[in-house]
Amino acid sequence: MSEAAVSSGALAPDISSDIRAARSHLARRFLKNTLGIAALAVLVLIVLAAIFAPLLTSYDPNAVSVLNILQGPGAGHLLGTDGAGRDVWARLLFGARFTLAGALLATVVAAVLGITSGLVAGYYGKWFESVSSWVTTLLMALPGIVVLLAARAVLGPSLWSVMIIFGVLLAPAFYRLVYAAVSGVRNELFVDAARVSGVSDFRIIARHILTVVRAPIILQASIVFGIAIAVQVGLDFLGFGDQTIPTWGNILNDGFTNLYRDPQLVIWPGLAIVITGVALTLFANALRDELEHSARPSRRRRAAVATAAAEPVPPVSNTIVHDEPDTATEAPLLHIEGLAVGYPQPDGSVTRVVDNVSLNIGRGEVHGLIGESGSGKTQTAWSVLRLLPSGGEVLEGSIQFDGEDLSKVPSAKMQDIRGGRIAYIPQEPMSNLDPSFTIGSQLTEPMRIKLGVSKAEARARALQLLGQVGIPNPERTFASYPHELSGGMAQRVLIAGAVSCEPDLVIADEPTTALDVTIQAEILDLLRDLQQELGVTILIVTHNFGVVADLCDQVSVMQKGRIVETGPARSLFANPQHPYTRSLFDAILDESPARGPYAEVLPR
Amino acid sequence: MLTFTVRRLLYGIVLLFVIVTLAYLLLYAAAGNVGRTILGPTATQATVALKNQQLGLNSPLISRYFSWLGHALTGNFGSSWFTNQPVTTAIITRLQVTLILVLGAVIVSAVASAALGVWAALRGGWVDRVIQVFSVLGFAIPGFLIALFLVRIFALGLHWFKPTGYVPITYYFGGWIRTVTLPIIALSIALVAGIAQQVRSSVIDSLRQDWVRTLRSRGISERSVLFKHVLRNAGGPALSVLALSFVGLLGGAVIIEQIFGIPGLGQIAVLATSQGDVPLVMGLVVAIGVIVIVVNLVVDLLQGFLNPKARIS
Amino acid sequence: MFQRRKWPGVAAGLALAVAGPLVLTACGGAQGSSSTLTLGVITPATTFKAPDMNWGNESTYNQAVYDSLVQASPTGVIEPHLATAWSYNADKTVLTMTLRTGVKFTDGTPFDASVAAQNLEAFQKGTSNNAGFLINMASATAESPTKLVIKLKQPDPAFLTYLGQAAGSQESPKAWKSPTASTVPVGSGPYVLDAKATVVGSSYVFTANPDYWDKAEQHYSKVVMNVYTTQTTILDAIEGGQVNAANTFDDTTIPQIQNAGFTVHPLQLNWAGLSLFDRDGKMSGPLGKVQVRQAINMAFDRAALLKDMSNGYGAVTTQVFPANSPGYEKSLESYYRFDPAKAKQLLAEAGYPNGFTLAMPSITSAFGSATYALIQAELANIGIKVDYTDYQGPTIFTAILAPKYPATYFTLEEDPVPWQMAQFLLTKNATFNPFHSTNGTVAGYLSTMQTGSGAQAATAAKALNRYMVENAWFAPFFRPQSSFVSDSHTNVKVQAGNAVPYLWNITPKES
Repeated sequence: MSEAAVSSGALAPDISSDIRAARSHLARRFLKNTLGIAALAVLVLIVLAAIFAPLLTSYDPNAVSVLNILQGPGAGHLLGTDGAGRDVWARLLFGARFTLAGALLATVVAAVLGITSGLVAGYYGKWFESVSSWVTTLLMALPGIVVLLAARAVLGPSLWSVMIIFGVLLAPAFYRLVYAAVSGVRNELFVDAARVSGVSDFRIIARHILTVVRAPIILQASIVFGIAIAVQVGLDFLGFGDQTIPTWGNILNDGFTNLYRDPQLVIWPGLAIVITGVALTLFANALRDELEHSARPSRRRRAAVATAAAEPVPPVSNTIVHDEPDTATEAPLLHIEGLAVGYPQPDGSVTRVVDNVSLNIGRGEVHGLIGESGSGKTQTAWSVLRLLPSGGEVLEGSIQFDGEDLSKVPSAKMQDIRGGRIAYIPQEPMSNLDPSFTIGSQLTEPMRIKLGVSKAEARARALQLLGQVGIPNPERTFASYPHELSGGMAQRVLIAGAVSCEPDLVIADEPTTALDVTIQAEILDLLRDLQQELGVTILIVTHNFGVVADLCDQVSVMQKGRIVETGPARSLFANPQHPYTRSLFDAILDESPARGPYAEVLPR
Repeated sequence: MLTFTVRRLLYGIVLLFVIVTLAYLLLYAAAGNVGRTILGPTATQATVALKNQQLGLNSPLISRYFSWLGHALTGNFGSSWFTNQPVTTAIITRLQVTLILVLGAVIVSAVASAALGVWAALRGGWVDRVIQVFSVLGFAIPGFLIALFLVRIFALGLHWFKPTGYVPITYYFGGWIRTVTLPIIALSIALVAGIAQQVRSSVIDSLRQDWVRTLRSRGISERSVLFKHVLRNAGGPALSVLALSFVGLLGGAVIIEQIFGIPGLGQIAVLATSQGDVPLVMGLVVAIGVIVIVVNLVVDLLQGFLNPKARIS
Repeated sequence: MFQRRKWPGVAAGLALAVAGPLVLTACGGAQGSSSTLTLGVITPATTFKAPDMNWGNESTYNQAVYDSLVQASPTGVIEPHLATAWSYNADKTVLTMTLRTGVKFTDGTPFDASVAAQNLEAFQKGTSNNAGFLINMASATAESPTKLVIKLKQPDPAFLTYLGQAAGSQESPKAWKSPTASTVPVGSGPYVLDAKATVVGSSYVFTANPDYWDKAEQHYSKVVMNVYTTQTTILDAIEGGQVNAANTFDDTTIPQIQNAGFTVHPLQLNWAGLSLFDRDGKMSGPLGKVQVRQAINMAFDRAALLKDMSNGYGAVTTQVFPANSPGYEKSLESYYRFDPAKAKQLLAEAGYPNGFTLAMPSITSAFGSATYALIQAELANIGIKVDYTDYQGPTIFTAILAPKYPATYFTLEEDPVPWQMAQFLLTKNATFNPFHSTNGTVAGYLSTMQTGSGAQAATAAKALNRYMVENAWFAPFFRPQSSFVSDSHTNVKVQAGNAVPYLWNITPKES
């Protein structure tokens, strides 16, 4: 591994994900990662070869033979002899001992120093922590090889002293890991509970914190180990190593000195170094992949929604349509016909999440799409926008928007339609704003692209919109970053963004679900006002009947990817016919009091 | 922002002071008979004694230390014992060369990792796998092996570049390119290997975020989404890693300069430490210390700029 | 390992983008034009202040900018330069020299006897490795602007040789007071240092001195001296056409250098082997016995060591005097045979049937661990156990000269002038005689070498040589070959006893 990686923080894994992951049977999952297992096996083999070196060769690694130098492989020497007639295979094996032991020494020193100081600093905090972080900055500030050169000038070429110093230099890697873990966990309730119930500090630390931080430490250790080997080899190459003992770096160096007399000498130590490095890297990568994999529950949930999605769609039953007296005579703005959306699986089957969905939304209408989680309502909304998650595709049907089939238009056209003619208000306000850009920039960017206005004009419009959606101080919000806003304000910003380019159709995906009850009401008012002022058509996806009752003209009920009942809101509310619709209504708390009347008289 | 910078600078100065004092005491403790070291075996004892006296080595260590410190504060670091060149001149001329290498490596790494990382994230499939293999190899193979390989193939085999030496850019641009390209590539490879993977996973990660869908829903082009928004978010962690690696690159430069015969700070560091050239080593310690402190400060400021959330903390 | 081979695909595409437009531009390196000489040197210039300069591998730096009082021909014959004539008095303690007129330094100061005297005194008091060469000088006085009188404390047969080296170099004394004295030379020599183009410690650039008085010795309009620190980088530079001529570190790459079209000029300047310092047994009892030292000489298979340690380049020997020295005797080349059995017998006779332990210093960073391992193995064969202590740099000399060890392996120079050799190695107070070994016989030979006539001195040198070999003061292994290499555009005349040719003997070949 490169020495340049010494100071790079890229190697420290993300702590929070690691902590979460470590709690879920990491080892078991790791065993399924073939590359990681193979790498680990190679490493184990190398270590075993080093330990059992005397059994694998009959030669003394330091036995010189004046007459026998620079022999090629064969004739009693598996890999030939080096510049002093020493057997290369023996030197590689015994060299493995020194090289690996040296790297182990550095790793252990770094780990012990880093972990203990991390534990103490994290748990007890205060001055110990500030001293430690000061020292850490100091150590991380020093370029490794230069320090080792200087140390060697003072201490002499001993491998062990150099590796100890190197371990000290690398301790910060472990320190930061453990400190973050400990200070994160320290405040968790169960630690307090443990303290209250009298569990000693030591046991708290050992039990709760160390188990959590185990895997990241192994990961870090394997990286540090690899770096230690690389630094050793580098020092040997510069001629600064301890030349009296066999190490892979010394063998390599001897090979270079004799490069022109016997070119194949550099191959063996080179291979040893590279193979070990690659194995360590692959092992570390596999470990990190598994840690990250298991640390994304939200992603998995979403993925589950996307792929496994609906339970298999039940046998077809017809949609119950409530007839509409004097239906609008003009063509609907959005006409979905027989839409089916699915996710092809690796085994060739296709999981359908939306099946045979037909829907009409007239201009100016507010249409509610209601159903439970997993019913396919959001998938339907996304397919109108052609923004299905990766893997999803429209299997059948058409989505007619103002005469064009959105499932078939070219992407450039779709890009035009999005934002300009169809807008989207997402569910979770905080995660739907780009955290690195200001609100103002995120509002003005689409306006400048779609409406072609100047920067100043876009800004003016944005400020006005922010005012319109009820944000008290538009200028301040314009200049803010998403993390500086509350949930309610962020949702207003998203609504402002959605209407900013004067769309015809607004698709609102559970716009109030993530908000407090009081804010919900305000947002709904806002939507209603906007709809009346701007005359936009709204498709609102929700699982909340209250929202539907408040806003919607038309309602469609979805169950397991199908629309089971559709019609004017009033009519559907008054007389739900489909059993599923009825069960939804029944699930709503009714108006009756929570407790029955008191008994009038107590029995004598 | 100002108090933050000032506080970090103060930290840095105290740090530097500690390092410098330790270094001075350690170096002289290990120095042995300096005159003999400089003059070699053939000089007479009388000459050696004279040399020691000229170097002021007969006064006590503490007074020498304070005298050095006093001179150092005025910018006078004395002269190299072995080349008699003033230390400040030696370091400044060589620092420029090393900085060119290191900055070149940082720029090349940034561009290459961004390109490779994005490509791997978007294309997936065999492209992704090839880049992963390259990353593992680039990370695992020691830098100097790669450098030697590069020299053999590209300089001596194909004659595209110079195998050794350094031509200043002001002297002859073509020559500069021919001497500087291979070293910069050698320095960059390990960095690119690590950071490309970082960029790749950050890009994949970012593309999965909700706000990407929302941006797309606004009709923003795919290209804009990728290069303006995703890369900005993905680039933050990668850039700060790159900046932190700057210090590690200084160490890598030591070996690369040896191989390519480049008259930079690394080459002189090896020579000075192996010869025990105390004035020069002390000058190097101070120079490197200052560089590291400044770089760390810049990195912290950069991180604040790139990551709005970090500014509050 | 990698021959010229086309590398397909990606590499070609990448490199084409970079190198394409550059293919036609001339590179700034060595083209073999007659106007620029690019030399590869293996050490930077310690200083440019003449009274402190070294010789050997640094001689070209000196010769570029300074003149010396006399010059040595390639075979070592002393010839006039700044001094046109000279003579000794009867007992060889007064040297009178007639100096050239009309020579000026680059700062305008004229060269004369008074300047020469100042330079000699400054060198004697200076910090050159070779300051000790003038140890016998009692005074130097200018009797007239063209007459320099040097008084010696005792006869010194090597003195004139020294005056052709750093000790005789002439710089304008005004320059010594300047703060840049050690980096900016002020000489009268054929070239002038171009401080702007020079990168100290890495690349030194000299341009022709338009006012030089000896145009016959000025062959180039520009001289560049590039410093290389490893054999690999030298080879790279040679194969890359970046140098016209260079010194080398070792013989591991001779075939490659020849393949690149360079001529190899072999030199045998040093001897490698053991110096058995403790001839009187003060520190190591066994070494005080001559049989023990002779046994050590028989323990080594010199031919094999030559092959192992020097790739077969060089010549085995058992004497320390070089072939071009009056003290050399052909029969002493192989006085001792490789005979471990006889060696053990000798050890037993001396009272050490079970061998003994010998402490020696090592400097693996210079000679490699293989060298020391081989020596250890050979000695172990006859029962002598070697205990090494490794040193990491020049600090080894302090230990050797303390003296801290009774013997050491080293590669030491062989001087063609016997007295120079003696002063370094053999006299009672010689630097490399840390135990000050001497006896009546040796002293006698040395005295004749010092004061006798040419013929007498030569005979005495031979006798001294024989004594050294028979009494095994040393255990030489071989004379390694040093190689100076030059390309097809450059002619070179090697210099006896010096690692690099003298600068004026490197000339462009008319093609």
